[in-house]
Amino acid sequence: MQKLGDFKLPHFFNYPPYFTLQPVKDTRQKQVQLWKELILDYCRTQKIFVIGLEDDFPLFSNSAIERSLSHEARDIFLSGLVSDGRAEWMDKGHKKCLILWLRIQDWADCILRFVKDNGLEDSVMTVEEIRSGIESRGTELHGMDRTVLMRALRMLEQKGKLAMFKGSSADDEGVKFSA
Amino acid sequence: MRRRPGIGGLQTAAATRDQYRLVGENVARIKTDLMKEQLATFRSQLEDFARKHKNDIRKNPTFRSQFHEMCAKVGVDPLASNKGFWAELLGIGDFYYELGVQIVDICLATRSLNGGLINLQELCNLLCQKRKAARESVTEDDCLRAISKLKVLGSGFEVISVGKKKLVRSVPTELNKDHNEILDMAQGQGYVTVEEVKRRLSWSSGRAIDALETLLEEGLAMIDDGHKDGKRRYWFPCVSFVTTS
Repeated sequence: MQKLGDFKLPHFFNYPPYFTLQPVKDTRQKQVQLWKELILDYCRTQKIFVIGLEDDFPLFSNSAIERSLSHEARDIFLSGLVSDGRAEWMDKGHKKCLILWLRIQDWADCILRFVKDNGLEDSVMTVEEIRSGIESRGTELHGMDRTVLMRALRMLEQKGKLAMFKGSSADDEGVKFSA
Repeated sequence: MRRRPGIGGLQTAAATRDQYRLVGENVARIKTDLMKEQLATFRSQLEDFARKHKNDIRKNPTFRSQFHEMCAKVGVDPLASNKGFWAELLGIGDFYYELGVQIVDICLATRSLNGGLINLQELCNLLCQKRKAARESVTEDDCLRAISKLKVLGSGFEVISVGKKKLVRSVPTELNKDHNEILDMAQGQGYVTVEEVKRRLSWSSGRAIDALETLLEEGLAMIDDGHKDGKRRYWFPCVSFVTTS
């Protein structure tokens, strides 16, 4: 079994035709499905939030069998994730894709759990602290994408679970959790 | 004076016939009784044997297939009925029905990957993985038996031979001789190209392309345009895609 770092690749990754878009509908559906699952799985384990279509993303080519995905194939697989609500295009040209292996709602739940587990109700934290502070170490929040984090926080803010305020500099925003 | 046929003569003849018949019936009865007795002995012996080796039959696939062979030789089918004494004795009927259900399960689960045609060997591997908890090993022979039982459902489960390999078909696709020859050819490297088909089988372009297109539409083949020689390859998951390691 081939591995990428500590990630175990599925069997189909070594089967050349999966790197060519299949013309028959049923076969194509299955192909897209397998790729979507693989991309999500990989991003989740490797904590990857953004995939650039032109980048050397490790899943887009397999040197062992000398195959790589065409631009069209990459676009189709990621668009599949977008229509499932598991990804979003970051630009109109489909050059960068934000992968939501957890939906924004799930991230929001994650944050609430984190607040509860650490007794942070009524405390203040900066956004940076949530992403890279000692408290979040070992949780899913650690090292998460800033855009995704901000959107989850805004969602919570709308629900009245916290309040956000600007710090002294622009990139230093604070959060006050409510009980 | 010539003696005319009398009633006495006729009576004697009839009496003789009766005597013969009686003797004959006796002989036949003795023979049947003997036969019945032998059969009963045989049956009880077979039962004894089955009872004694119940565990071996259930657990040891080689032993099981030998047992089946023996039963087939004497004209007994332990799978014929689930209600028979074999089922009570061995639960062997259940074993194959269970296997049958699991085979259907696997065939359905892998259908979108292989188009409903699966290598018997791979089916067997998947079956063993699935049954890991049961810890009764399963051979290809068992799979074949279970599949033969599935036929009564009329669901089109069938085992076809392609070259040396056996494939299990779970979709009603009719494969003609051309398709079989291509599958046979693909077993070597897992794929074929139009040129190879034309060359090796001496077919016209039309015939080769037509057969390959059908296989593609049935979901039995997948195309691969990624090789550097630029020639389209047709891969056949049923003979080359391994989901078990």
